[in-house]
Amino acid sequence: MMADRLLRVNAYTTLDLVDGRARGHEFETDAPGVVNVTAPREDPEHVTLQVELDGTDTDELAPHADEIDLSPAQARTLGDALESTADRVAASRAESSADGDDG
Amino acid sequence: MPTDVENWKSEVYGSEIRDHLFEFAERGFDSIPDDERDAWFERFKWWGLYHQRNGQEGYFMMRIGTPNGVLEPGQLRVVGEIADEYARGPGTNPIFGDAYADFTTRQSIQLHWIELSDVPAIFEKLEANGLSTQQACGDSWRNIVGNPVAGKDAQEVIDAWPVIRELNETFKGNDDHSNLPRKWKVSVTGSADGSGQGDINDLAFEPAYKEVDSVEGSSTSSRTESVDSDDVVGFNVRVGGGLSRNEPRLARDIDVWVPPERVSDVAGGLSALFRDNGDREDRYNARIKFLVDEWGADEVRETLQEEYVDFELHTAGRDVREEYTYNTGAGERNDLVGVHPQKDGANFVGLNVLVGRMGAEDVLELADVAEEYGSGEVRLSQRQNVIVTDVPDDELDGLLDEPILEHYSPSPSPFMRGSVACTGTEFCSLSIVETKNRQVRYARWLKENVELPDGVDQFHVHLSGCTASCAQPQIADVSLRGMKTRKDGEPVEALDVGLGGGLGAEPQFARWVTQRVPADEVPGAIANLIDTFAAEREDGESFRAFVARHADGELDAFVDPEETDYDDPMMHNTKRTWYPYAEDDSLDAAPNAPADD
Repeated sequence: MMADRLLRVNAYTTLDLVDGRARGHEFETDAPGVVNVTAPREDPEHVTLQVELDGTDTDELAPHADEIDLSPAQARTLGDALESTADRVAASRAESSADGDDG
Repeated sequence: MPTDVENWKSEVYGSEIRDHLFEFAERGFDSIPDDERDAWFERFKWWGLYHQRNGQEGYFMMRIGTPNGVLEPGQLRVVGEIADEYARGPGTNPIFGDAYADFTTRQSIQLHWIELSDVPAIFEKLEANGLSTQQACGDSWRNIVGNPVAGKDAQEVIDAWPVIRELNETFKGNDDHSNLPRKWKVSVTGSADGSGQGDINDLAFEPAYKEVDSVEGSSTSSRTESVDSDDVVGFNVRVGGGLSRNEPRLARDIDVWVPPERVSDVAGGLSALFRDNGDREDRYNARIKFLVDEWGADEVRETLQEEYVDFELHTAGRDVREEYTYNTGAGERNDLVGVHPQKDGANFVGLNVLVGRMGAEDVLELADVAEEYGSGEVRLSQRQNVIVTDVPDDELDGLLDEPILEHYSPSPSPFMRGSVACTGTEFCSLSIVETKNRQVRYARWLKENVELPDGVDQFHVHLSGCTASCAQPQIADVSLRGMKTRKDGEPVEALDVGLGGGLGAEPQFARWVTQRVPADEVPGAIANLIDTFAAEREDGESFRAFVARHADGELDAFVDPEETDYDDPMMHNTKRTWYPYAEDDSLDAAPNAPADD
């Protein structure tokens, strides 16, 4: 698959390395990817969440980026969900880590 | 709705920024209000100053625009003296030391660690010696590029240097053209080698012949070989090239030929067309390449004719693109390194400056050498190299024996001369990986460990730290672009790999074939790639031709990343340091802005 990227990747990109997965009815493929949150500088109407998995690792799909437009309220809902879930995962990992120390 | 940048520009922009800049320099960096810094940093670019990256507060990169890369006798010394006195900061580079100059891919010069309080004194010294930072950055006419040995090159079709000088004098500081929607990069080339790299510029003038009875003026070719006596030589015009934003474009032919005396009119017309019609609401869509996408070349030509020039445009003339060799990956003169004849009987000697960086002491020594063996003039190429001009035959041996040429060689390894790198995380706000020092390490390792196949004496590797493409990665044999990956569970610096790019009669952008190769496995990947090329190439096939006849998947397999004895000390996330080479490189250890002095 073609490896040219659709998303710009520079120091302002939100996450230049994430572990991702493309899943369809007939396939499931792990691939690293890029995640970015952006909005126009002036008079933005929405927040855009961008996701692009590396083209070379997803043979079942044409290279592409997914972009989701979120209202400010939706973006906050997503942010809250990410934060609360992150708290739960972090707590679980801390617990696992502490368990591990017992040995 | 205009962008923030457009609003800032509408308040203060162009020449008037200088007064504010000097006022801040007088009152100190901290006098720039926090909530106005973005605006002022954006404006300072017009005068050649970029604020350095996060963690280097109060320090600036200064770009000196040298039209066509020409440094007249004495000017290189001035650059060296300024670098030595002012381009020193709290970080020391382990390869290049404390004070250095960077020669760029657009024939300019960049200095780092410049303090605002020193700017007036630096400007005074530059301007007293005919140099300037004006419009070296920002949304206007950038440094005009071309064949750096214009006026001297024995292969020249037409002397483009007077044209470039006229454009520089007309459009630098010209209020009608000082505030464009975005940067405006112009190339004017008079040689038949393609060394002006017009295809990747917003506006390109390339040498072309036109029948004399259909044109005004009397320009004649400066070539020695015979041409049709009815032909006069001028320039064909191309518009809308550029590499940035993941959307590279080759400049489009707008079917216009222009005699030298009217280049300024056409260039001004196209600059004004861009000023009036470029997208000021979205900076990512602002470059003229996107306007050409939208309009097409025909509409650009029609609009230029109807609204921006008051004479009848000629259709395109007969170009010399078939003769282009520069950065083509095959044939002679892929670069201007080495000894070459001038048309006046003297010689120019191109010296390889690995990744374009030269320590201040070496800059001063080279200035001495240029004065001793040549006229004192030097010129800068778009491959980040320096050319000593006007060297008589009987001075050549003396020049070639100078110790400094052991380091800046006129006959370097293909991997040394083929290396180009951008600034990277050392100073740049955009980059996500270390670049210049890494490319030095790569070139040295490849030189020691890899043999190119017989007859292949050029191999270009360009390393850019992000998708902004300042190292022109899309026009190299091997294109490297900054990314991240995970190795042994840890995030590490990595590079996307593209192959087969280059210019010439049929320019081709690299095809990106492999993503996220850990930076320490890239030399092994290139070695394996070259091994496969050597084993499977057809008779006399160039690397670029080899790439062209293979599918992306095959090329991806040829890249084959591998650990070797190459050691990369910068695998960690250098964008999260304040300075990658500091003993304590964490952002928390970043120095305060320099005290006013």
